[in-house]
Amino acid sequence: MKQWLRAQGGWWLAWLALTGVGAVWLARAELAQMQQDFGSDVRIAHRILSQQVVQYDAVLATVALLEPGTGADHPEQRLPSVYPSILRVQRRAGDEPWPDEKHASALAAAEARSRSQRRAELAAPDLARGRYQLVMGATPFSYALEIDLAGSVPWRDWPMDPRRSPVRLSLQRDGQQLVLQPGQSGDGSGWRFDLTKALASPSQPFELVAVRHVGWSELPWRSMAGWAVAVGLLLAGLWAAQRQRIARRRAEELLRLGQVARLNALGELSAGLAHELNQPLTAVLANAQAARRLLDDDPPDLATARDAMGQAVEQARRAAGVVGRLRRVIERPEAEGEVRPLVLQELVRSAMHLLAPEFAKRSVSAQFDATAQAPVRVQADAVALEQIVHNLLMNALQALELVPAPDRRLAVSVGRNGQEGVLTVTDNGRGISPEALPRLFEPFFSTREGGLGLGLSLSETLASGMGGSLSAANVPPHGARFTLALPLVARPAERAA
Amino acid sequence: MNTSPTHEPQSPLIHLIDDDQAVRESLSLLIGTVGLRVQGWADPQAFIDGFDRASVGAIVLDVRMPGISGLTVLDRLVAQGVDQPVIMLTGHGTVEMCRRAFKAGAAEFLEKPVDDEQLLEALQQAVRQHVRSRERSQADNAARERVAQLSEREREVLAFIVQGLTNKEIARMLALSPRTVETHRANLFAKLDCDSLAQLIRRYAVLVAGDD
Repeated sequence: MKQWLRAQGGWWLAWLALTGVGAVWLARAELAQMQQDFGSDVRIAHRILSQQVVQYDAVLATVALLEPGTGADHPEQRLPSVYPSILRVQRRAGDEPWPDEKHASALAAAEARSRSQRRAELAAPDLARGRYQLVMGATPFSYALEIDLAGSVPWRDWPMDPRRSPVRLSLQRDGQQLVLQPGQSGDGSGWRFDLTKALASPSQPFELVAVRHVGWSELPWRSMAGWAVAVGLLLAGLWAAQRQRIARRRAEELLRLGQVARLNALGELSAGLAHELNQPLTAVLANAQAARRLLDDDPPDLATARDAMGQAVEQARRAAGVVGRLRRVIERPEAEGEVRPLVLQELVRSAMHLLAPEFAKRSVSAQFDATAQAPVRVQADAVALEQIVHNLLMNALQALELVPAPDRRLAVSVGRNGQEGVLTVTDNGRGISPEALPRLFEPFFSTREGGLGLGLSLSETLASGMGGSLSAANVPPHGARFTLALPLVARPAERAA
Repeated sequence: MNTSPTHEPQSPLIHLIDDDQAVRESLSLLIGTVGLRVQGWADPQAFIDGFDRASVGAIVLDVRMPGISGLTVLDRLVAQGVDQPVIMLTGHGTVEMCRRAFKAGAAEFLEKPVDDEQLLEALQQAVRQHVRSRERSQADNAARERVAQLSEREREVLAFIVQGLTNKEIARMLALSPRTVETHRANLFAKLDCDSLAQLIRRYAVLVAGDD
């Protein structure tokens, strides 16, 4: 668990943080949009309601001005049929009381205010029932309109669906209220927008109160989930890329370590070898030279000289024994035991993958088409084959260092030749000099400054250990080609064909 | 074969330290052909503990030995003030090893298998060098003993003489009569066993200057 946390915790934290930031941003944007919509809806509702009630002022003023009451037919009584929201029109002449006895006093008071302010006045508002009266004091007749407020709402132009809209709208005055649309009441959590605005009519200053509750469920969960998935995919991609990079670096590291280890082992080996061989050689030399001196003496000391020569012979045999023992130690018989079927293309691909930085460093792009041929299955030891391919590629890369970067060509091909799978590595470097060609696979022979001269020698030994061969040739106009041949895996289908 | 009747007891002795018996025997035979005595040692520790420090000669030391490295042996010999020249032998010499050996005080650094001319030449030179240094130190000791026999006043006079002052000048410096200085001078020549001023200065100038 701890291990897992250390390896992946950072990535999960990054995912959480990015998802969180993105989700908050999305939610805020959505809420801002909601608030803007709410505001514009409420302002539209306010405007059309205001227009509606202002219309009543105009109607009342017109009626009062035209004095329709002078005729006997009371044309003002036809208003309710024209305006369905005007329920009743009352007229009061001079000293008569208002016909509506129930609200007579309220109407009278409103009339008095109307006369003093010279505009229509509100009387007997009953918002619970959606009723109120609008009074205009005038001479000879004062008029009062009883208005159905609920019926005044111009639903045709209404910006919201009154039944389904989440916005609660009400008209309020003096603690009374008429609910225009119920909206959705919140459960206390979430967000709340509200807006209160008096209708733009001095005579009917009802307050339009709008409230909108936004619950958690209204947040843009789908977009947020989408964002979380997108971030997750992105991070997973980065993670995979990074892992691949780390894996390659580790492989390179192993390869380099392997080389260092081999060199160290080689150094140790040469020091031990030098000591083991130099001891008997010292004795051989000293004995032989002592014998020569004794024989040069006058008279020559023949007996001692003979002894010394005997010693020299014995020590020479000892040196030969050291060499023999060394060979038995170094030649591992088990090296030939791990042969199994391998696909040449895959090995080439993995070797090139490992050497990709080397290729890049020398700006060489190898020509190799893994799919040009059906998989070539050879019988080989994976480690040995990897080493050979690696050595051949490195060799070609080093040969190309003397060629100007744009002209560097390195071609790898895989094919079949009779019962053998064949891998060739061709470079367009300077090629191999005629003197070097026959000695190319000798141990400790190198044309490179500081080269150990073991790479090709080892590769050749490994190839023949697996029943294959490694050969080199020059190709025109210049360059070298190394050809590795390995026995194919015998398959019944292939034999039949 | 280490000793041969033709050599007198004080003939130079070579100490040969190598864990390999064949190498020891063959090198001993080779060194013996030029009349040097050889004592072989298989164990470096036994050599350090047991060899004759008073002997005149040289040490031939193999670098690579089990248990204790030749370079370590060299360091110990130098630390103990051993004055025999040391010739190092190695089967796989590196520049670094060579540098370390010379820095530690090795007289020569040779690679195995070693050529007879090279080894014998190096040995003879080392022996000559050791003999000279022994003689010089013996002479030094004798001179030091003689100087110790001088009186305080005679030592002062000696210091002025080696500075090249005349008797008169010395008398003035020491507020003595030239006659008295003359007497001290005669005594001092007799005690230091010198016949001439040149001889006196050659033998004792360094010693007197060192005493100041």
